[in-house]
Amino acid sequence: MITITINGKNIKLDEPMSVLKAAGKAGIKIPTLCHHDALETYGGCRLCVVEVERMPKLQNACTLIAADGMVITTESEVISKVRRGILELLLINHPLDCPYCDKAGECELQDLVDKYGPTVGRYTEIKRKVPASHKDEIFVRNMDRCVVCTRCVRMCNKVQGASAIDIIGRGNKSRMEPFSSASFNCEYCGNCLSVCPVGAILSRLYLHSFRPWQIDREVETVCSYCGVGCSVVVQVRDDSIKRVIPRFGLGLNNGLLCSRGRFGYEYINSEERLKEPLIRKNGKLEKSTWSEAIDFTAKKLTEIKNSHGGDAVAGIASPRCTNEDNYVFQKFMRMACGTNNIDSVSRMGFASAQKYLEDLLGQGVTSNMISGVKNADTILVVGGDPTAVNPILGLAVREAARNGAAVAVIGEAKGLEKFKTLKVVPPVFREAELLESLLSEVAEAKDPRNERPAVDQGISQLSGGSAGVDTGELKKILLDGKSISIILGSDLVQRANGHRALFAIAGLTYMLEARLTLLSDRPNEQGLIDMGCLPDTLPGGRPVTVHDFRDKFENEWNGTIPENEGLSLLEIIEGAENGNIKALYVMGENPAFNLPDSSSARKALESLDLLVVQDIFLTETAEIADVVFPSSGWAEKQGTYTNLERRIQLLNKAVGASSSMEDWKILKEVSIKMGYQMTYSSAEDVMDEIATVSPLYSDLTYREISAGHCLWPYHGKPLRGEINELPASAEAPEDYKEDLYLVIDKPLFHSGSLSRKSPALRKICPEPLLRIGPGHAQKLGLKDGDLVDVSTSKGGFDVTLSVDDCLGDGKVYLSNNFEDRGVLSLMGYRLDPVTKAPGIEGCAVKIQKKADSSAGSDKS
Amino acid sequence: MFNETVLKEIDGIRAKYPDARSALLPSLYVAQREFGWLSPEAMTCVAKTLNLPEAMVRGTASFYAMFRHNPVGRNVIQLCTNVSCMILGSDRLLDLLKSRFDLEPGETTKDGRFSLVIMECIGACGTAPAMLVNTDFHDNLTEQNLEEIMGKYK
Ligand code: SF4
Ligand code: SF4
Ligand code: SF4
Ligand code: FES
Repeated sequence: MITITINGKNIKLDEPMSVLKAAGKAGIKIPTLCHHDALETYGGCRLCVVEVERMPKLQNACTLIAADGMVITTESEVISKVRRGILELLLINHPLDCPYCDKAGECELQDLVDKYGPTVGRYTEIKRKVPASHKDEIFVRNMDRCVVCTRCVRMCNKVQGASAIDIIGRGNKSRMEPFSSASFNCEYCGNCLSVCPVGAILSRLYLHSFRPWQIDREVETVCSYCGVGCSVVVQVRDDSIKRVIPRFGLGLNNGLLCSRGRFGYEYINSEERLKEPLIRKNGKLEKSTWSEAIDFTAKKLTEIKNSHGGDAVAGIASPRCTNEDNYVFQKFMRMACGTNNIDSVSRMGFASAQKYLEDLLGQGVTSNMISGVKNADTILVVGGDPTAVNPILGLAVREAARNGAAVAVIGEAKGLEKFKTLKVVPPVFREAELLESLLSEVAEAKDPRNERPAVDQGISQLSGGSAGVDTGELKKILLDGKSISIILGSDLVQRANGHRALFAIAGLTYMLEARLTLLSDRPNEQGLIDMGCLPDTLPGGRPVTVHDFRDKFENEWNGTIPENEGLSLLEIIEGAENGNIKALYVMGENPAFNLPDSSSARKALESLDLLVVQDIFLTETAEIADVVFPSSGWAEKQGTYTNLERRIQLLNKAVGASSSMEDWKILKEVSIKMGYQMTYSSAEDVMDEIATVSPLYSDLTYREISAGHCLWPYHGKPLRGEINELPASAEAPEDYKEDLYLVIDKPLFHSGSLSRKSPALRKICPEPLLRIGPGHAQKLGLKDGDLVDVSTSKGGFDVTLSVDDCLGDGKVYLSNNFEDRGVLSLMGYRLDPVTKAPGIEGCAVKIQKKADSSAGSDKS
Repeated sequence: MFNETVLKEIDGIRAKYPDARSALLPSLYVAQREFGWLSPEAMTCVAKTLNLPEAMVRGTASFYAMFRHNPVGRNVIQLCTNVSCMILGSDRLLDLLKSRFDLEPGETTKDGRFSLVIMECIGACGTAPAMLVNTDFHDNLTEQNLEEIMGKYK
């Protein structure tokens, strides 16, 4: 126990810490400028000086470690004088342009000068002049305001791990610059901007558009982009979003955000938002009224249900919508439409993987915490790049690596290039075999567990074949691990034999007693599953085919639930194609664009008798719909999201949306018109019902969610569901012999339909890029920036080539985020017979330089 | 990118230190020798070779006066104008460089033959005025021998 005295107050400390921290614990504030709680200690500004008895000189409170018996004074005549002196020196160069600077009102230098500073400076030197740099699309750098505290640099290097900026120059010419001295070319997380104490780094999104004290209200809510579920504060003025910021101490992201979360909010205010319901009349979508559109939808759905049966209707739910929306959606499909044909794009990764893994290892097996990843000593990343798909989770991996964890990557994870211990690249689409051979080696080295017969049996039946890659080093890393986290991305699931890779992952998890995280590129994939937006599962993960579960819900819901499992996502599309599905109800999803072989999907959707779409934009799917309802967007509604750790978090309404309606409410109105009663008057009412019927969300209330973190299963009872027999082993792997294959890219800056309507994200990354390794580019005589025609058997289009040093040969990467040029339109699929996820593999591709591309080549 | 020999040289430097950052300054010298100055490309090469962030390479390079951030002529003159040299006539040498070679401090002759850098003290106060041309040391300079010395550098 260390006892120190600060300003006459005795303070007991359990562990060694800086005097600054100790004072903070005792509620004593010491002024700081270079120090920031989220960053490593620097000791550069000396504003935190304190007097320590028996030490002749003033000491930095931030770097001085408290020792037993220290007697410290934090405010005195001398200390104030020194602080005033330091500030006077800073003000030699710092321009006094507060009236014009966005930071005024929340500037730490301004506050310090207000408290300690000189009112007049004695120095007469001419201030240094560094012109403001407006060369970046997002950040404005005003380097004459920089006080060289290095907070931004420490943030970028040590927390974000991007190392994109540094202090350049020397003496009073020092200032922060990105390498190019102009544009940042970085991860655009904006975390440097958050920690800058002065107005040296500003955001162009709201430059000179408001003062911090002119904010009407601040609303705490959750980011709408990915499954991490970062807490954000939305600042509103005149009912429009001024900015979205994180807050240190708030949420699991604790002050950090990624580019999408911080700069991707503008879509909410987009001019292109749908404003009124539309109905197709004479082949054209025409403006309509809410009551007409609701009546029309209910009437048509009832007709189709009556003449073709409930199973002629299907629904696609949305991992962008809240738990409440999704709960009402599946209830509407099951009870009003009479079908279990309910699925979502989550089928293409998260939901399929989770279902299979939970069937093997029990419900909740994928609920590893982000802090668990941070504290792991060994991390295996496979099938996706956490720093791009779930950036804040990616930071946890980087932090673990910095703290000495071994990070093994199978496949590509660009954002971990500098952090990985080992990278193993299997031959194209042969991940399953690599993982299987890894599993058999690991199982051989470990004692058998004999706890889950299906897994034990599966392991014993492994063929021991290999993908032709040495797994020795991988095995060693995994066997050396004491606390192992496995992070799994959707690439692995999108294989015709995806379940085999999933089995291998399950086996590794089981043998190594590892923890599992599934990457999730939508904010509420977990919630959607928990709410039962699946063809085979009721809320709470209860199988729909089990009579007792159905019975319970039928009593609660007052009606009959169809007994048979419904169709999965791509089976629904195939159903539309062959005429078995007549009506499709789509909530917040864009299947005409987001599914593999999307042009065929689009044709299938066009052939439907009825296509109903609820969305915030006129998406590719809404364009071909018969009825379109404008729904409320993320910042316009209340509800809950369940993140990839299964943390249930509250979404709060920040701005009003006069002409739109919440998704659950639209469904409720249609349902009532179809004769199935719903009585909710708020999202909270829906949650009350969920808390009654869902065994996983028992007794959950909004009050409790907002009071703290609610981790799944909330008072609930997860199932120990188990597969007792593995499906017969799949056929031999295909031999892929083409020269070049197309694969799906998941970039950091975009997510699709929302990000492409966000001007800031479009400025950071304006167009799709076809990424290729340097070796293969050279082989094809192509260079960075070339305009190329990319084509497969499904079609083709022009796109800019980007040569990426960390990629190998044989594959090119393209995203599915931009209008008319989504990679999925070029790719076919084969369903994995077990998970029903589309196997999107083996897509041979040709790329050819466009003749006129020299103009595009020097744009880097 | 660097050629094989240079890459090997930098690898050799790298091998001397446990941390790549320690190899940065000597490697920047190599890059400056190869490229003549530290262009962004030169710094990128160093960053790639040492596997260090580009921004950090530039931050470090920009701190030190001996690294050049603009293209220079084939020969770089570093003339001292500190107290001893000044008293013993470095101003006159500067005038001569201006009138005879059209060379001003911080600039390069049109034919790319010389660049001139003013520097502070090369420790030759006893034999001032003094200068360095590339890495060669010359002292006891006068207007006469300055022209002569310069004639040796093409
Ligand atoms: S935005 Fe993020 S990545 Fe870019 S410089 Fe700032 S901290 Fe670094
Ligand atoms: S830009 Fe801001 S955070 Fe970075 S060193 Fe300057 S004052 Fe500090
Ligand atoms: S990590 Fe995910 S939840 Fe967090 S800010 Fe980024 S997109 Fe939003
Ligand atoms: S806060 Fe302690 S030196 Fe800056």
